[in-house]
Amino acid sequence: MINLSLKRVTSVWIIAILVVFVITAIFGITMRFNQGGDIELSPVTFFSLMTAHGVTMVGIWSVAGMMAVNYLMARYVKVSTAVNVFALVLTVIGLVMLWTSTFVGYFHAGWTFLYPLPFFVAWESWATPLFLYSIAIFGIGWTVWTVAMLMQIYKKYSLAQSFAWQHFKRGYLVETPPFILITTVSLIGILICLITAVILLVLLFAEYYSNGTFTNDALLIKNLTYFFGHTIINEALYLGVATLYELFPEVSGRPKFKTTWYVALAWNCTLVFVLTAFFHHLYMDFVQPVGLQLVGQFASYFASLPSAAVTVFSIVILVYKNPIKWSLTNTLFFIGVIGWIIGGFGAVIDATISNNFVLHNTLWVPAHFHTYNAMGNVLFSLAFFYWVANEFAGTKVVPRSEKLRIGLLLIGGFGFVLMFYIAGAYSIPRRYSVYPDELALGRNLASYGGWFATIYVIAILLFLGEIVNKCLKVFSPRSSAAA
Amino acid sequence: MSLQPKLLLIFLFTAGAIAITAWFIYSTSKLSSQEHGGMENPLRKRFTAFIILFALSAVFLSITIPKSPYFRFSGENPSHVVFIAAKQYNFIMSNQAIDPKKPGGGEDIVIPADELVEFRVTSLDVNHGFGIYDSRGEIVAQTQAMPGYVNRLRWRFITPGHYNIFCLEYCGNAHSFMRGSLTVTEAAAEK
Ligand code: HEM
Ligand SMILES: [Cu+2]
Repeated sequence: MINLSLKRVTSVWIIAILVVFVITAIFGITMRFNQGGDIELSPVTFFSLMTAHGVTMVGIWSVAGMMAVNYLMARYVKVSTAVNVFALVLTVIGLVMLWTSTFVGYFHAGWTFLYPLPFFVAWESWATPLFLYSIAIFGIGWTVWTVAMLMQIYKKYSLAQSFAWQHFKRGYLVETPPFILITTVSLIGILICLITAVILLVLLFAEYYSNGTFTNDALLIKNLTYFFGHTIINEALYLGVATLYELFPEVSGRPKFKTTWYVALAWNCTLVFVLTAFFHHLYMDFVQPVGLQLVGQFASYFASLPSAAVTVFSIVILVYKNPIKWSLTNTLFFIGVIGWIIGGFGAVIDATISNNFVLHNTLWVPAHFHTYNAMGNVLFSLAFFYWVANEFAGTKVVPRSEKLRIGLLLIGGFGFVLMFYIAGAYSIPRRYSVYPDELALGRNLASYGGWFATIYVIAILLFLGEIVNKCLKVFSPRSSAAA
Repeated sequence: MSLQPKLLLIFLFTAGAIAITAWFIYSTSKLSSQEHGGMENPLRKRFTAFIILFALSAVFLSITIPKSPYFRFSGENPSHVVFIAAKQYNFIMSNQAIDPKKPGGGEDIVIPADELVEFRVTSLDVNHGFGIYDSRGEIVAQTQAMPGYVNRLRWRFITPGHYNIFCLEYCGNAHSFMRGSLTVTEAAAEK
């Protein structure tokens, strides 16, 4: 059941996420203008911004997915507001610690803090443990939250039902809604990667506090790091897809999506393959066993293809030649799917070992992940925010033309990522604060990218006011009286 | 044309096709009324689409896997070995093995074209990347430099000239300035 307290935490989450998003996007724009030579930051400032930007973005869009499925889950099972608030508080504390480590302590080892860089201290010495503890605080909050949600699912559904296995047979009694299936698949994945993060942190702290008596193996830690980093950002996207399955038909005025055997099969594929796709981050480590490299390419193809294909086809069937009530919510979902598959295609190109040989760690990498994040997952979340804000305000999502906001979003967003793709194809490396003269092309592209990103952020600001205003309605005295 | 521009074109073409298709599907919904509508035979079409997609992936996989760098030149014997020890923030390159305790400064590397070279790449501190760029500023080959491990990268240079090495793994605040170079000379005369 959706009660007032759930609405209130959700509302606080949304406002906090949007505000932090705009600030963090401005970090990104600042980086692009520095790479373009329009402004001049010291490399330390640049990389502190980059580290804060990466962790914060991954963090807020993961919790955006979590809190959205938490809200919608209340339609099917009981959910705990206390745990939700607990996660919110720990997320805020973690964020304060993170930004202190990067902006007061100048910690700048990148969002993946790849071992052993965090221990080659080029910042305040307290910043390394503070950064690692901030990750631990996020980890605790989100693990408790994930476990709590999974427990609620398992009070109603059996393990097999939560994965929709009964749909592989004829004549089943209980239907697993697609929302529950995708949420379960994603939460299980998130739980596994949070557990990996714990192992990773324990190993790093063991070395940190051992005074040189214990050192880690760089290859092992790199595997753990990318298992965690790659998986969490992908699962965050799948949470967004779960909200899409729940809301897209509803706001379009069409019948709900149903779980069929191939929907079940596709998401079970994702569950398994997403866990081994991360090997593509180690393609250029030739000491990694070749078998794992091949598993990486195979899994990269089959983790995303089936679920993306099933989702796209469901949307196509729903929309094609059918009268749809287009509003901001389903338009954002629709564009988000386009961003997701275009970014996914960019990812598949890079996840092909023979291509990765010339694309690895070029700007092709931020190109594809910004496509399915900034033009995919962010839009899924915005669609949810907009829909739920109208619920809070008791207003209806009215079908109306949204040419300005959508137009700016499309031009800004796709222009921004296009500059990354072109730069990637021209061998411009990622994570360079400035580009050497031989790669001067990267500068112009960075500048253009900065301007496109500015347009994108303006579009976001145009949504923000309306959403925040409506979210604040749940704190008005009238709304508590109604509850 | 080298690989990168081809990939960019394939990507842009596909992304454009996706966008146009999406626009088309969106506009069919704007024109339609309640009465007629929907896709005919959606299940058949979905099935066909999936089969095509899987066939394409299978083709892609079987074409690209054999081209992986792990298998290229693997049956041959390199005629040159170059040792590389990366450290914050430069590449020590030498024709002799490098002692990690006393790495020294290395020397200029000159390689004849058309001969198979093996780069043995490691790091003395954090992770780095060893990216070889041709004179047009395009990556021709790369591998990672990881502490405690040696990655063996085999390559046969075709075009003589000056090649830059740029670091392709974030290694700290001077990462963008970490570089090296090597020279490829005309192929040696008949052997
Ligand atoms: C307008 C919005 C955004 C702008 C302008 C922006 C800009 C940037 C820039 C310039 C970089 C550094 C690229 C490089 O040279 O390697 C970067 C990295 C990154 N961005 Fe964004 N970004 C935006 C949105 C997002 C979103 C929505 C996400 C969601 C997950 C995200 C996640 C990341 C991550 C994980 C990195 C890598 C950080 C690292 O290498 O340590 N960004 N972004
Ligand atoms: Cu570097």
